[in-house]
Amino acid sequence: MNLSMEKIRKSFGANDVLQEVDFHLDSGEICALIGENGAGKSTLMNILGGVLPADSGKILLDGKEVKFSSPVDSLDAGIGFIHQELNLINDLTVYENMFITHLPKKGIFLDAKLMQQKTQELFDRMDIRLDPCAMVRDLDASYKQIVEICRALMQDASIIIMDEPTTSLTEPEIQRVFAIMRTLKKKNVSLIFISHKLNEVMEICDRYTVLRDGNMVASGSVSETNPRELATYMVGHELKSEVLQRDVPMGEEMLRLEHLSDGRYFHDVSLSVHAGEVLGVTGLLGDGRSELFQTVFGAMGRKHSGKVVLSGKEIHLANTHQALDAGIAYLPRNRKENAILKDMNILDNGSIVFLPHLIKGLFLDEKRQSQLFDEQAKALSIKMGSPKDGITSLSGGNQQKVVLAKWIMSGPKVLILDNPTQGVDVGAKEEIYSIIHSLAQAGVAVIVLSSEAQEIIRVCDRSLIMFHGNVVGQVQGEEMNEQNIMYLATGGEQGKKECV
Amino acid sequence: MEKTKKIGSPLVQMKKLWSQNALSSTIFALVVMVLIQCVVQGVNAGSFSGMFGKMGMAWLNILRNNVYQGVIALGMCFIIISGGIDLSVGSMLCALGAILMYLIGPQGPLAAMGLVGMPAYFIAIVAVIICGWLFGQLNGVLIAYGKLPPFIGTLGTMKIFRSVTQQLTKTFNPEVPADFKLLTSAKIGGQVLLPILYWVVIVIIMHIIFRKTAFGRQTIAIGSNEKAAKLSGINVKKVKLGIYALGGVMCAIAAVIYIGRIGSMDFANAGSGYEMDAIAAVIVGGTAMSGGRGSLVGTFLGMLIIGVMNNILNSVGVPTFLCEAVKGLIIIFAVLVQRKDNN
Repeated sequence: MNLSMEKIRKSFGANDVLQEVDFHLDSGEICALIGENGAGKSTLMNILGGVLPADSGKILLDGKEVKFSSPVDSLDAGIGFIHQELNLINDLTVYENMFITHLPKKGIFLDAKLMQQKTQELFDRMDIRLDPCAMVRDLDASYKQIVEICRALMQDASIIIMDEPTTSLTEPEIQRVFAIMRTLKKKNVSLIFISHKLNEVMEICDRYTVLRDGNMVASGSVSETNPRELATYMVGHELKSEVLQRDVPMGEEMLRLEHLSDGRYFHDVSLSVHAGEVLGVTGLLGDGRSELFQTVFGAMGRKHSGKVVLSGKEIHLANTHQALDAGIAYLPRNRKENAILKDMNILDNGSIVFLPHLIKGLFLDEKRQSQLFDEQAKALSIKMGSPKDGITSLSGGNQQKVVLAKWIMSGPKVLILDNPTQGVDVGAKEEIYSIIHSLAQAGVAVIVLSSEAQEIIRVCDRSLIMFHGNVVGQVQGEEMNEQNIMYLATGGEQGKKECV
Repeated sequence: MEKTKKIGSPLVQMKKLWSQNALSSTIFALVVMVLIQCVVQGVNAGSFSGMFGKMGMAWLNILRNNVYQGVIALGMCFIIISGGIDLSVGSMLCALGAILMYLIGPQGPLAAMGLVGMPAYFIAIVAVIICGWLFGQLNGVLIAYGKLPPFIGTLGTMKIFRSVTQQLTKTFNPEVPADFKLLTSAKIGGQVLLPILYWVVIVIIMHIIFRKTAFGRQTIAIGSNEKAAKLSGINVKKVKLGIYALGGVMCAIAAVIYIGRIGSMDFANAGSGYEMDAIAAVIVGGTAMSGGRGSLVGTFLGMLIIGVMNNILNSVGVPTFLCEAVKGLIIIFAVLVQRKDNN
């Protein structure tokens, strides 16, 4: 089936997400849809999948205009949408999942035989070796993906949208899914492959379409391009961010990781960071950087191999408490889930880390607690009513500063900041950047984990790029630009590892 | 104009203080209950002066009869604030009571060593408190290190404590020395007041631990957001051990008061249902079942509210079986009010 989307326009309030985007798909081809977060890929596909209505524009299937007002309309027209979070029911069997929308009945009972038979037929046709009676719970991630694809086929889909299908898969699992995709192609099914991983795009796709800021910026045949060119299309040429200049007073080495692996999220990571340095670590979803540094902080237990060396001495941390005593601080991502104590006031939230050091005799020295927190509040210019107010009375940026305050109060040697400006407005962002620099100036080794390349460029002295749990490159100075970061983060040089 | 302003501002301030106080609805509920109780007792006594006598007796009984559950509820309050629950407290009280009676009995190990009287009792009480600490630690180990849900872990130990106690005491013929009972039952001004005194002192101590120590703050932090607490460098496992151990110590103290007052123990039934009474007091006292928020003083008041309620129901002749239904209604009502407060 031929698909044409013409001049699709969509805005949410004043925010134009799609500005007259054209998208074309021939039958039996695999087209990559790529772009940065917020480029409009998901919105475009949600319009095609009937999840969202377009403000204007046309969708044509084999030259005939169609209108979708719900996902069911879209599916009836032959378009299957496989979301990033799979929609399978773990506690049912494969065949039950295949028919979950329309379970066939025989009298008042389910016709299990028919379901199994039809599922088996489809698997045979697709050359998939999988027991229709297996529980979905027992399948690995790639087979779950395959069951989703087959479910779309069972509903006679001739176009299948796959939203980042490979993020949670290992390399052999990815190859298994790719094999199915090639079979589908032979059977004249068209596929839209949304991905961040350019090497995969090069491997499996026929054509590509790049979205940036709601515009279609490039489209063409994959055989006539290369990952570097695609990365440039994704980022665009005009770079808004400028580097915050500062002198780097490099001190002695504070933290060194040697061949750290946990066998799951990160592999053979070695790096080193000095006092006074701001090191960036970036990558895309599933790069393992959060897990890596939570391990360094002792929050993941002792399930890793390799060495963690702090100021020249090897340390073995079993829990976060020991990390705190050793002088490692970790500000987690997702403030609301991981950092905010919603029932406690600003003062307690801002000093919870330091409480064991605020004991006078048996009791808490509340006077000193207030005094120390007030100093931090002033230094970080936290805007608040009274320190005794609830933490939730503050804006996101100020909450983040309170969380930052509790770690600064502990006087860390190594400060790890995981997405420090998540959910923070532009003004507070700049303030947090200058706090980071003044801490580095004071001799703290700062590690900033971020998925925003612009942030890394703006605040860090150098940056490591991770891909699938490996450090795949380091950029510094002139080389530290968005194209290079995007190129490495999408696995551009996966084979060639350069570590510190 | 100026005069009304002067009168008005302290009133407004008081109102503000009142509305900021987390205990205001609990105190309000208790005051209402006491007023109803006054009316009921006044009608029963038939005269205004008679009412005071009746009320005095009623309150002595309310305070004396709820000491065991009341002390246990203080430990439970810590546990619930940390986001947990302890179902084993009743069985623990029973097990600790048995240990105490074994230690102080005329055939016990202390007597065999030639220790009698107050020194023996002192050693026995310390030993029972240490046992309570260890039993609580057992719960803590299962929950913090074994990662069992608190409900399941303590349901298990609830069964274990009770049945092992019953098996070991099959041939045990406990005798409690008369002078041991003096520790709690000695009369002051013709009335048994010591248990009440102990209770109040423990409420104050526990309140101070909760409000004035790092341990108290860490308990709130864990109940508020365990993941954030862990990522704030709090040794969550160690703090949890401490919380459950403290619960065990409260059971030990309750067991000492129980034996001193009653002088014997029915190992099949003693303490059964106390876990629910304690949880009820904690909830009625305004502590959130979801953890993170609560008050030890509130728990004390919650226990009194339930006690006053019982007293009123008995005085107006509500059948005993229905009293439990009314208790159930109070608990449900308390939680509904809490939810409204939170919004």
